[in-house]
Amino acid sequence: MKFLCVPCDTPMKLQSVGPPDRGSLSVVYSCPECGYEMAMLTNAYETQVVQSLGVRIGPAEASGEATATASGCPFSAMLPASRGSGLGARDSANDPEPQGQVAAPVAVRWTAAAEARLANIPSFVRPMARTGIEQFARERGVLEVDEQILNEARDFFGM
Amino acid sequence: MGAPPFGWLRAPRAESRGASDGAGGPGGEAPRIRMKSYYDIVGDGGSRILEQVTEQRARITDGLAGVRHLVAVGSGKGGVGKSTLTLQIANVLRARGLRIAILDADFNGPSQARMAGVQGAVVVPGSRKAVLPRTRNGIGVFSMGSLIPESEALDFDSTARGESHTWRATKEFTLLAEILGAFEWGELDLLLFDLPPGAERTVQYADFLGPHASFVLVTIPSEVSRGVVARSIAALSKRSHRVLGYVENMSGYYCRDCNAIKPLFPSTRPHRGLAHPSTSLGMTLSPSKGQGGSPELHVDCLGSVPFDPELARQCDQGIPLAGGDGSPVSVALEQVAQRLLESLD
Repeated sequence: MKFLCVPCDTPMKLQSVGPPDRGSLSVVYSCPECGYEMAMLTNAYETQVVQSLGVRIGPAEASGEATATASGCPFSAMLPASRGSGLGARDSANDPEPQGQVAAPVAVRWTAAAEARLANIPSFVRPMARTGIEQFARERGVLEVDEQILNEARDFFGM
Repeated sequence: MGAPPFGWLRAPRAESRGASDGAGGPGGEAPRIRMKSYYDIVGDGGSRILEQVTEQRARITDGLAGVRHLVAVGSGKGGVGKSTLTLQIANVLRARGLRIAILDADFNGPSQARMAGVQGAVVVPGSRKAVLPRTRNGIGVFSMGSLIPESEALDFDSTARGESHTWRATKEFTLLAEILGAFEWGELDLLLFDLPPGAERTVQYADFLGPHASFVLVTIPSEVSRGVVARSIAALSKRSHRVLGYVENMSGYYCRDCNAIKPLFPSTRPHRGLAHPSTSLGMTLSPSKGQGGSPELHVDCLGSVPFDPELARQCDQGIPLAGGDGSPVSVALEQVAQRLLESLD
């Protein structure tokens, strides 16, 4: 979708995207020639259809608050029910341990390099990957996940 | 200087400001606005929607650069054994030393994780992308069943709850694109897509995967199933997608006790006396093409595979079928895999 300032016959530029409000986005465009501003207000279905394409809505340089997909990943809210399941979908780095559960396993640290590699994989896979790798490390008596452990896990589990 | 191309679209600003060419007016033609069209404008003003979609496609192309053949196993009909055949063909080809991976594209009813024994597989972060989990015999498998317990359903966050029919399919294809772009597929001889049921879904996947993908369709001997598969073939043919052939699954029931294949469907007609070169049963199965009003499929038959309860048991437990035992199922799967390879060359 593009917007044209009819009096100026000039393509309008995206200025800002308002944070989602009940599924609606406020997308502001302005004319670089005359400065006229207009806002496209989407309904929830229109927002959803665009988000389903897996794209960010907003200027390329926009901050996270100004985009429609706050995490940058359209699947960040996927698998909500599998958190804490046997697959280990809980992201132990970000989520507090549930109250009243079995005692937490020994904490495993991640080196910066290992964290960087974890960030390369889709966010919807990350929680179970983190938990699985930490379990793999614990089983080997290792309490720090570094690139060597990741490489060993790769040989053990992966292609 | 000659007139610029499409000059009528680039009217002087003073003229366009009036938003009319003067031909309109009471009782006259509707005023024609002089202004740029969509295709005159480069970019989209900063939203980068199209660019991001293009970038997604580039990531997929990059990720699949080392894949020699991309084969989608579909049907249109559900419950015909697409996933079972996909896995068993993969097993046969892997035993021959080929590099094989399976992408279970049935996100809502994933079965490869259990059948391939990768339900608890850990996705390991590689240097750039996620590492594909592998089976014990070295087949790479992505299945949502590795990520979601069987007691739970795939769900997406949405701003439009209750209207998922308007966006869910789009989101699933975006998820497929994300998976294709985010995992290391590496150097593969064959990437098998295990498609979800539905004739229209088969066509949607064909459109998504593009002309690089070939299709194998699975049917069972029932006329209903053949009819659905015939529709899928017709739809794929309209779009010039390559259909390598079809496999007739459940072509009889293999009884291990009496070491015989018995009819499973009315149209299944085991042909006694036509000895299969590799079996000792003195019989072989022929596909039930065009009998009694059953629709012709007009593509090559890659083989017929009888139903074997032992195979079903092993699939449930994630145990690879021991190949090369000379059983009718094993022989049939070898034949299907061989014909599949021949059709790809």
